[in-house]
Amino acid sequence: MKKSLLLTLIMPCLALGAEARLKATNGDVNARYKENYTVKSIKAIETIKGTVKDSKGEPLAGVSVTIKGTTKGTQSDVNGNFTLQANVGDVLVFSYVGFTKTEVAITSTNPLSVVLADDSRQLTEVVVTALGVKRSEKSLVYANQVVGGNELNTVKTDNLMNSLNGKVAGMDVSPSTSGVGGSVKVILRGSKNALGSNQPLYVIDGVPITNSSNANGQPNSTYGGSPDGGDGISNLNPDDVESITVLEGAAASALYGYQAANGVILITTKKGKAGTPQINFSSSYTNDAISYKPKFQTEYGVTPGGNQSWGPKLSSPATADNLKDYFVNGNNVTNAFNFSSGNELAQTYFSYANTSANGVQPTNDLHRNNFTFREIGHFLNNKMTVDVNTNYINQKIQNTPGEGFYYNTLPGLYLFPVGVDILPYKNDYAVAQPARNGLPTQNWIANEDVQQNPWWILYKNPNYSTRNRALINASVKYDFADWFSLTARGNVDRVADITQQNLYAGTNPVLTPGLNGSFSRTDQTLTQTYGDLIANFKIPMKGAFKIDGLLGASITDNNTVGTNFSPGLGLAIPNVFTEQNVLTAITSNASTVSPGHNQVQSVFGSLNVSYHGWAYLTLTERNDWSSALAYTNNESYSYPSVGLSFIISDMVKLPQFITYAKVRGSYAEVATPVSTYITNPQNLSAAGGSFTFNIYEPNPILKPTDTKSDEAGVDLKLFDNRLSFNFTWYKSNSYNQFIQYTPAISSGYSTGYLNAGNIQNTGVELKLAYDVVKSNKFSWNTAINYSDNQNKVIQLQPGVPNEQIQLTGNGANAYESVLAVGGSYDDIYGVKFQRNSSGQILLNADGTPKTTDYEKVGNPNPKFQLGWENTFNYGKFTLNFLVDGKFGGQVLSMTQMLMDSYGVSVASGQARDNGGVTVNGVDPSGNAVTKVNAQTWYGTVGGRSGVAENYMFSATVVRLRTASIGYNFPVENSFVKNLRLSLIGSNLIYFYKKAPFDPEITMSTGIGLSGVDVFNQPTTRRLGASLNVTF
Amino acid sequence: MKKITFLKKKLIGINTLGKCVLIAAGALLLGGCTKNFNAINTDPTGITDAQTQADFNNLGGYYPGIQQNIFGEEGDYQLCQNLNSDCYSGYYMSPDPFRGNINNQDYSLVDGWNSDVYNMGYVNVMGPVGHLANLRHARTASPHFWAIALILQVQAMSRVTDYYGPIPYSKVGAAATTPYDSQQQVYNQFFLQLDTAVTNLQAYIAANPNATPFAKFDMVYAGSYPEWLKYANSLRLRLAMHIVNADPATAKTQALKAINNTGGLITTNGDNAQLTGFGYHNPIWWIGTSWTDLSVGASLTSYLNGYNDPRISKMLSPATSPAGITGQYVGIRAGTPVGGKPMYNGYSSPNFSVISEYTPMILMNASEVWFLKAEAALRGWTTESAQTDYETGVNTSMSQWGVSAGGYLSDKTSTQADYVDPLTPQAGVANASIKAMSTITIAWDNAATNEQNLERIITQKWIANFPCGGWESWTDYRRTGYPRLFPVVVNNSGGTISTALQIRRIQYPASEYTSNASGVQGGVTLLGGPDNGGTPVWWDTNKGQAVPKNF
Repeated sequence: MKKSLLLTLIMPCLALGAEARLKATNGDVNARYKENYTVKSIKAIETIKGTVKDSKGEPLAGVSVTIKGTTKGTQSDVNGNFTLQANVGDVLVFSYVGFTKTEVAITSTNPLSVVLADDSRQLTEVVVTALGVKRSEKSLVYANQVVGGNELNTVKTDNLMNSLNGKVAGMDVSPSTSGVGGSVKVILRGSKNALGSNQPLYVIDGVPITNSSNANGQPNSTYGGSPDGGDGISNLNPDDVESITVLEGAAASALYGYQAANGVILITTKKGKAGTPQINFSSSYTNDAISYKPKFQTEYGVTPGGNQSWGPKLSSPATADNLKDYFVNGNNVTNAFNFSSGNELAQTYFSYANTSANGVQPTNDLHRNNFTFREIGHFLNNKMTVDVNTNYINQKIQNTPGEGFYYNTLPGLYLFPVGVDILPYKNDYAVAQPARNGLPTQNWIANEDVQQNPWWILYKNPNYSTRNRALINASVKYDFADWFSLTARGNVDRVADITQQNLYAGTNPVLTPGLNGSFSRTDQTLTQTYGDLIANFKIPMKGAFKIDGLLGASITDNNTVGTNFSPGLGLAIPNVFTEQNVLTAITSNASTVSPGHNQVQSVFGSLNVSYHGWAYLTLTERNDWSSALAYTNNESYSYPSVGLSFIISDMVKLPQFITYAKVRGSYAEVATPVSTYITNPQNLSAAGGSFTFNIYEPNPILKPTDTKSDEAGVDLKLFDNRLSFNFTWYKSNSYNQFIQYTPAISSGYSTGYLNAGNIQNTGVELKLAYDVVKSNKFSWNTAINYSDNQNKVIQLQPGVPNEQIQLTGNGANAYESVLAVGGSYDDIYGVKFQRNSSGQILLNADGTPKTTDYEKVGNPNPKFQLGWENTFNYGKFTLNFLVDGKFGGQVLSMTQMLMDSYGVSVASGQARDNGGVTVNGVDPSGNAVTKVNAQTWYGTVGGRSGVAENYMFSATVVRLRTASIGYNFPVENSFVKNLRLSLIGSNLIYFYKKAPFDPEITMSTGIGLSGVDVFNQPTTRRLGASLNVTF
Repeated sequence: MKKITFLKKKLIGINTLGKCVLIAAGALLLGGCTKNFNAINTDPTGITDAQTQADFNNLGGYYPGIQQNIFGEEGDYQLCQNLNSDCYSGYYMSPDPFRGNINNQDYSLVDGWNSDVYNMGYVNVMGPVGHLANLRHARTASPHFWAIALILQVQAMSRVTDYYGPIPYSKVGAAATTPYDSQQQVYNQFFLQLDTAVTNLQAYIAANPNATPFAKFDMVYAGSYPEWLKYANSLRLRLAMHIVNADPATAKTQALKAINNTGGLITTNGDNAQLTGFGYHNPIWWIGTSWTDLSVGASLTSYLNGYNDPRISKMLSPATSPAGITGQYVGIRAGTPVGGKPMYNGYSSPNFSVISEYTPMILMNASEVWFLKAEAALRGWTTESAQTDYETGVNTSMSQWGVSAGGYLSDKTSTQADYVDPLTPQAGVANASIKAMSTITIAWDNAATNEQNLERIITQKWIANFPCGGWESWTDYRRTGYPRLFPVVVNNSGGTISTALQIRRIQYPASEYTSNASGVQGGVTLLGGPDNGGTPVWWDTNKGQAVPKNF
C-alpha cells in the first residue's frame, strides 16, 4: 500500500520540485565540468595502451573505455586494442553490452591487459527491459533471454528471426515456404488468440515497430493465395543489431500493453561510439540447394488418354529427373559496412547493407538496400541527450513461389506422368494459337486448376512486391536530477508496398477470369505513429529500501490506406496489363484496401522496490483507451502486473559452490482489444449502383481479451560461475477470446463476434550453460535449452458444447485446422477410415474404404524442443555448431496424397508390383479383404479430399541447424585492423526426420495452415563463407 | 505457487489505487482525446443512412442486391443451384471430381455447399427485405416498392422451402432463435404475400398508370409495374401447382386466382421475368467457360437426341472428346466418377455462343406458364384446351430459342434415346450406359391417359426450362415423377437416399444445429422424418413410387 501511495504523491511533487532542482544541479555540473576539463588538464598526460579480451581470450572490439569521473574515452579496435591519454592513478571504466562493466586503475604506463567477464555469468549486468529501460538483471522478476549481435550475424539468413531458431527456450520459429525474403512465424509460449495475431511485438530501441506483411497477407486455405512479400522484421539489416532480448512472459512485457500479450522481442541497435573512427565491412556468400526430394515410382507410365500415371508398365524404368530440370541452386550475397565515429558530445553511426538473393525456384530473387543513420548528441552540459535514428529500406522480391495448389509450380512438376518427357513442356511452355492469330497460350498435359505448367507459372504468372520503408525514431531525454529524468520519444514507421501479379491469356481459366488474362495490383501504405512521454525516478533514500520507477503516457496510431485493383472480368486486349484495359465487373475493379485505422492511448506506471539488495518487488499498471472498442462501454480498461524476486545467495549463506541463486515469481494481465471496425458494422456501397447491407450482427458489449499469466523460476550459477542454470515455469490463460461465430442464419446476419472462452498455455523453459574447458589456449562452452508448451482450449462459448472454430476451412480439401474445446491450437482435422471393433477398415463393394466425417487426426506443435549449442576456441580458430530438435507432433502431407492418387509416388508403384495395396479391411458382407487395387484405393484414400489419417507423419525432427568455423588472420597492418574468415552452413544434416517434408516449415505465418504440406517448397541446405574486416 | 496467490491478493488492493492514479493521470494528459474514437473506428468505405436519402436510394438501393442474390453470382449460383438441383433435375453434371468424386452429385451431401442456400435466402434476400420493412417502413412509405420486395422474397424463399421442407419464415428476425414453420404454413404465407403485392401494384397502377418509379432499381422489367403484376400472378400459379397433391383445394383456388386476375399472366417471351443489367453476368456462362466446371446431363441429351429436338444446337455444344463421341451431343450421367479433367471435360456443354456473358438469367418464362395452364386444364380446373396450352408452350419455347418447331409437335414416334458412355466401364468404375426410361412421345394425344399427357406436359416444360430452371424442374420431378431421369451411377448417401427413388431434399445446414438448435429440431419434427436427403417434403406425396401416379 505504501508504495502506491508514494506513486500518487510523485506526480505533483515532480512538477513542483523539478524547476528548483534543475537550477541546483546545473550549478553542480558546471563546477564539475570545470574541474574535469580545466583543472585536470594542467597535469601531465600519459599515453596508455592496452588490450581488452573476453574470458575466452577473444579480443573485444568496440568496448567503451572511459576515464572514471570524466566523459573522456575511446573504444577498442577489432583486435581489442585501445589507446588513450590518461594519468597514472586514473581509473578506466570498460563497458560493453553483454559484458560486465569493469574498472581498472592505471598503476603504470605499461600496456594493460583487461578481461571482461561475460554477462551470463555476472549478476550486476544491465538488461534492456520494456520501454527500453535498463535494469540490473538481479532485480528482474521474470525470465528474459539475450542473444548477442555476433551470434545473429555469424550465419546470415534472409530473415533475422530465422537466426534465432533453436537458440531461445520457449520460442517456436517456423519459416514460411515462400522462397527468399519470406515471412517467419514466431510463437512465444504458445498461441493465445483464436482470432488476430499470435506473433510477438517487435520493439527497436524501446519503441514498437510494425511487423506487417504486405496487403496480400497470408494464405488461409490449402489452395494458397496471393504471394507472400515478407514480414516487417525481415526488412531489417542484421548488422545493425547489437543484441536481441526476448521477453516471453506477460510480466516482462505488460508495460507495452495490448501489443505485447504474445511477448516482445526487443532489438537494441548499434550506435556510434566516442573514440577512433571505425569502419567495419562484412560480406557473406551462401549457396542453397533443396535438402530433400519426394520419391517417385519409375515403372508405370501414363494413363492412356489421361495425365495420371496409372498406365501400363514401361518397357524400361523411367530415368528422367524432372526436379533436376527445374530447381536451381539459390544463393545469398550480403555486403554490409558500417561507420562509427564520435566524441564525447556527439556520436555518429552509419550503415549500408545490400542483400541479393536467388531462391531455388528459378526467377525468384530478392534485392534489398538498408540505410541507417544514427546520431546521438549531448546538450546542456550533458543533461540532455538527443538520439535520432533513421532507417530507409528498399526491397524488391520477384516471383515469390506460390503456396498450396494455385500459382504453385510444384503440383505440375511432381504430378507429371512418369515416362513422359517433360522437356518439351519446359522448352515450349507456350504455344501459338493460330485461331487467335498466334497468341501464345499454355502448353500442358492437364487441364486442372490444381496444376499448371511450372514454367508457364514462372514466366506467365509473374508476381513482384516492392517495399519502401522509412523508420524514424527520435528521443529526447533530460536529466533533471540524479533521481529524475524525463524522456519524450516518437517514432514513425511508414511501410509502402506495391504488389502485382500478371496472369497471361492461357492461364488456367479457374485462376483468371475471361480468356485474355488478368492482373491484380495492390498499392498499400501502412503508417504507425508512436509517441510517449516517460518520467523516470529513483527516490533518494537512505536505508535498506530503495525505490525507483516510472510514469508515462503513450499514443499509438496505426493507419492503413491504399487501393486494390482486382481482375474484374479480365482484360479486353490479351496480355496488356494496364488498368484501362480491364473489363469492369459488378464488383468494382479498384477498391479500397481493407482499410484500418486504430489508435490506442495509454498511461502506465511501474514501481520497483528493493530491500537490502536481495529482495525486489515490481508493480506495473497500465490503462488503455482503444478506438477499436469505441461504441462499447469498454474502450477504457486497465491491467496490472506484480513480481517478486529474492537473491537467496545474498540473503543467506549458501554452500561455497553456489555463487548465485535467485528465485522469482510474477503475475500479470494483458488485455487485447478487438479488431478494427467490428463494434460499428455498417452498410457498404457496392459497384453497379447498389449498396450491400451489413451482414455483421452488432454486438455492443464486446470487450478485450484478457490474458492472465503466472510465472515462477530459479536462476543459479555454480562452480565459480562456470555452470549456469535457469528454470522457468509459466501458465497463461487467455479469457474472453475474440470469437467469430455464425448467428442463427435466419437472423439476417451471416457473421457475428463475441467474447468467450479460455485458451491455456502451460510450460517450462530450461537453460543450462557450462564452460567445460576454460583456458587461454582452448575453451569449450556448451549450452542446452529445453522448452515445452501444452496448449489447451478449456472453453469456447459456454452453452455451446461442440463448438468449433475453423482456423482453416477444408475448402473441399483434406485439411482443416480446428479449435475445439478439449483440443489444442492448430489441431489438424481430416477424415479417417471407418473401422469395426477389431480395427478392420470397412470397405465398400468396390474396395474403396468407408470414411468418417472430419475428425481430429493430429497436432503439429512439438511436445518439447531441445537446442544444444557448442563453441570451441582454439588459438585463432572458433568452431560453433547448433543441434536442435523439435519432438512430438504430427503433420499432414497433401503432396503425398496427390502423388499417390496420380500414381506417381513410390508407394503407388510398389502397390502395383505387389498386386494391390495391402489392407486390413472387411467388405460389406463381412469377408476379410487384404488387397485392394492400387488405383481404386489411392483414388479414394489419396487425392485432394482423401483420407488424412493415412497421411499423418511424425513431426519430430532433429537437425544440425548451423555450424561455422572461423579463423582470425593475424594482421599487422595499420590500415586493416582485423580480418576474419568463416565457413558457415545451416540446415546441414537431418539426424531424424520421418515426414516427407520439413515439418518445421509453414504455409502461413498467420492463423491456421499449420502442419500441412501442400506442395510446399522444400527447405534448403545452405553452405557458404563470410568475411569480416575492420579498418 | 503460494507466493503468487499471496501476491495476487495483495495486488487487488494496489490495483484499485493504481487504477485511480492512472486514470487521473490519464485524464490530465489525454483530456478528451478519445472523443475521436467513434470516427476512427468507422469504416470509411461505409455508407450512412443520411447518404442514402437522395433519389429514394434508402428504399431502392436494397433491390439490385436482392435481385442478384436470387441466383447469385457464379460462386453462389454453383453452390445454390448448379451442384444440387441443376444436377438432380438432369440438366447438368460437372466434369470436375469435386471432393474426390464424393459430393452432392453422387448424394454425399456437402454441408458447406448446401448451407449457402440458407445464406443467400436469409442473409441476402430476407435480411434486406426485413430492413426495408423495419428500418425504412416500406410497407407504408412505399407500398408499390414493398410489393416488389414481397414478390422477390416469395420467389427466393420458395426455392429454400422446396429444397428443405419446413423453414424459418414467419418468425425470422424476431428473436435469437427462430422457430420453423411447416411447409404448408410457408406456402400459405407466400399466397398472402402475393395477395398484398398484387393489391398494392393494382392500386398504384390505377392511380399512376404510366409511372415507373422503380425503373432505376429494376433488373427485371425496367420499372414496368404491369409486368411485375403478371409475374406475381404467374408465380402464384407455379406455387399453386407445387402443392397440388398435398393440398388440392388450395392449389385449385390459388391457381384460378392467378389465372383470373385482371392483371394477367406471363404469356409471351417479352413478358419473361429475367435478371439483367447492373453488371450482372450470366453465372452459367462463367462456370462453364471460366471454370470449365460444367457439362450437361445425360438425361437432357437423351431426350433432346431422341426427340430430334430443333433446339438442341442452340442449347448445347457437341462433345469435343473422347474420339468416339466427337460432334455428338452426349452429356454425363449423374453420379459418374468423373476422374480428373480433362477426362470428361469434352462432353457436351451448354452452347456458350448462345448463352453468353450477359445473357439474362430467366426466373420464369412464358412457356412455363403455358405448361402450367395446360396442367390446370388437364386437371379440369379450367375450360381451356390442354392441347392448345401445351402446343403454345412448346412453340413459345421454340421462339425463345429462335428456332422453328417444324413438324416437332406432330411427331408421334420419337422417344427418349438410350445413353451410352464411351468412357465406362473401366477399372473400378461401374457402367454409366443405360437404356431409355421413358416412352412418352411429343405430339399431343387426346386418347392418352391423363398420366401420359401430364408426363408429356412436364417433359416439355422441363426442356423449356433449361438452362436456368433447375430448381423448378427438380420440384416438378419430385412432385410428378417426370421427366424420367437416369438415376445416379454411384450413390454415396450411405443408405439414406434410394437410388431408384432419387434424392428428395437436402439437409439443413449444420450451423442451424449450433446456432438455432431448438428451431431446427422443431423443423425436423415438422418434416416428419430424419434430416437427410431421403425424406420427402410436405408437397412431395409422390414419394416411394417407382412408377409415378398423379391421378
